[in-house]
Amino acid sequence: MAAISLDGLTKRYGKGTRVHLPGSRTQSNEVLAIDSLSFEVNEGEIFGFLGPNGAGKTTTIRTLLGLLSPTDGTGRVLGADVRDEGALIEAKKRIGYLPADLAFDEGLTGRRVLDYHASIKGDSRREELLELFDPPVERKIREYSTGNERMLGIVQAFMHDPDLVIMDEPTSGLDPLKQEVFHEFLRDERGRGTTLFFSSHVLGEVRQVCDRVAILRDGRLVALEDVDSLLNRGGKRVRLRLADELSETEFTTEGMVDLHALADGFQFTYTGEYNALLSHLAGHDVTDIEIGEPPLEDVFMHYYGESEEPADAEPVATPREEVADA
Amino acid sequence: MLDIARYEAEKRSKGTAALTVGIALLSLAFVAFFPSLDGADVDIDAMLEAYPPAVQEAFGIATLSTIEGFLAVEIYQFVWLLLLGLYFAYSAGGLIASDVERDRMDLILSLPVSRSRVLGEKFLSLLVPILALNIVVPLVVFFGVLAIGQSISPLDLAMVHLLSIPYLLACGAIGLVLSVLLSRADVAKRIAIALVFVLFLIESVSASAEGFEWIGYASPTYYYDPTAILVEGSYDLTGATVLLGAICVLVLVGRFRFTRTDIGA
Repeated sequence: MAAISLDGLTKRYGKGTRVHLPGSRTQSNEVLAIDSLSFEVNEGEIFGFLGPNGAGKTTTIRTLLGLLSPTDGTGRVLGADVRDEGALIEAKKRIGYLPADLAFDEGLTGRRVLDYHASIKGDSRREELLELFDPPVERKIREYSTGNERMLGIVQAFMHDPDLVIMDEPTSGLDPLKQEVFHEFLRDERGRGTTLFFSSHVLGEVRQVCDRVAILRDGRLVALEDVDSLLNRGGKRVRLRLADELSETEFTTEGMVDLHALADGFQFTYTGEYNALLSHLAGHDVTDIEIGEPPLEDVFMHYYGESEEPADAEPVATPREEVADA
Repeated sequence: MLDIARYEAEKRSKGTAALTVGIALLSLAFVAFFPSLDGADVDIDAMLEAYPPAVQEAFGIATLSTIEGFLAVEIYQFVWLLLLGLYFAYSAGGLIASDVERDRMDLILSLPVSRSRVLGEKFLSLLVPILALNIVVPLVVFFGVLAIGQSISPLDLAMVHLLSIPYLLACGAIGLVLSVLLSRADVAKRIAIALVFVLFLIESVSASAEGFEWIGYASPTYYYDPTAILVEGSYDLTGATVLLGAICVLVLVGRFRFTRTDIGA
């Protein structure tokens, strides 16, 4: 059984009333946040959910948790239909959630908040988690840094030993050392059979821990694949300095995209065969070279294409970014 | 069970303590003031006769020359009916909206709890300050009255507090509905205060407007009359029942809306 399955999940905001515009045009004031999403997350995998701001990641996650009701289609988490509150409550005993906009009652201590959550869902792993992630639980949350608040969030998401954990930008606000601890922790969790579903902007994080990813754009699923193939498609960012003077056309070979001429060299994204690139470069006098991962935006660009599509079939009156990621 | 209510009550424990101590001290101050009024060489009730009927009605003024009449006006009409009514409407106005507005509701609802339970227990948590006030203040008033050499019927005093519980909960239920309907907590709180105040005014004015008394039936203040309890010893149990019914209806309206709404959308 899939840990999460989406079946044509669609969410529109707004009442759907028609707005009359000058020139006898009408437009719907609905905002389509996510559109007919269908995919499955397998048990025991780490699944990354990627997309630019406003793509609908948070809307999808909040719909899966029953905070928003789907306009159309549905989703299932641990077998429970998200439209069935009773079934979803039963499933939530085995689900952990770490929201992107994490907020606790500021006047209470971290311990009191954990006690509260524990009184409802249990805390069999609390002590173990507090050794890995160590927010100052005796202090009031008002005094917490973003990182401490995030660690408290991680502890509450995992402390009842859930089978599925849904996380929205889990590492934002964590320092690099804690991020590393967290990634290691996620791999161990997968080893214990926990299913992990999280949204992210950080390619390094996705590459390090995810098995598969879904990429969302404007509320639609544009890619669903293994992390390895995603990265291969993303290519490598190459920046080199050359002693010889060359024009762009002379230098370009197959597999180079996004080529820019620099003062004394070139920068491009390479998606072709590595040996071919090396033999090509061997014919030139290379004085300096950097090869690295492309930023995630470039991988997105690869999927999204260079130009924005013209207005979709679904008319949209307000900018999506503001509503869809709310 | 009641984990949410307990947590909510604990969150406001300092506020509850401060409110209880503050109101207890205020009541004691009123009690201490009575001997100087009583000893003064003026016919205070004759003066009150000159007040417009609407003012007499609004402040439930029957008499100020007995300790019962004095307490009914100063503590129970003014502090209990008006100030605490407004306070609980205001307080309840934030019960749902502030958690939604500050993104805390996401985490609460990610727990294996139904929305009805969250709403119900949050509302129940109002009982903690209401009970604290109604246990501490009557004791303070009773012994304060004895201390100034007066006496008061313990039964009437107990009843004026007991019957205030449905009244204060009804004010809270008005705030709760607004808290579910409105997405901004401070707007919900302010409207709750304004609404309870307007209902209080309407009830006071309509009571002395012949033919229009029925307008006042919409106000919770119509169903709780501390002056009648303390001065005449008459208990409006029907009024209390009406208030309890209204609380149920309001909570159900809030629940109907809260279980169907998109959180924070």
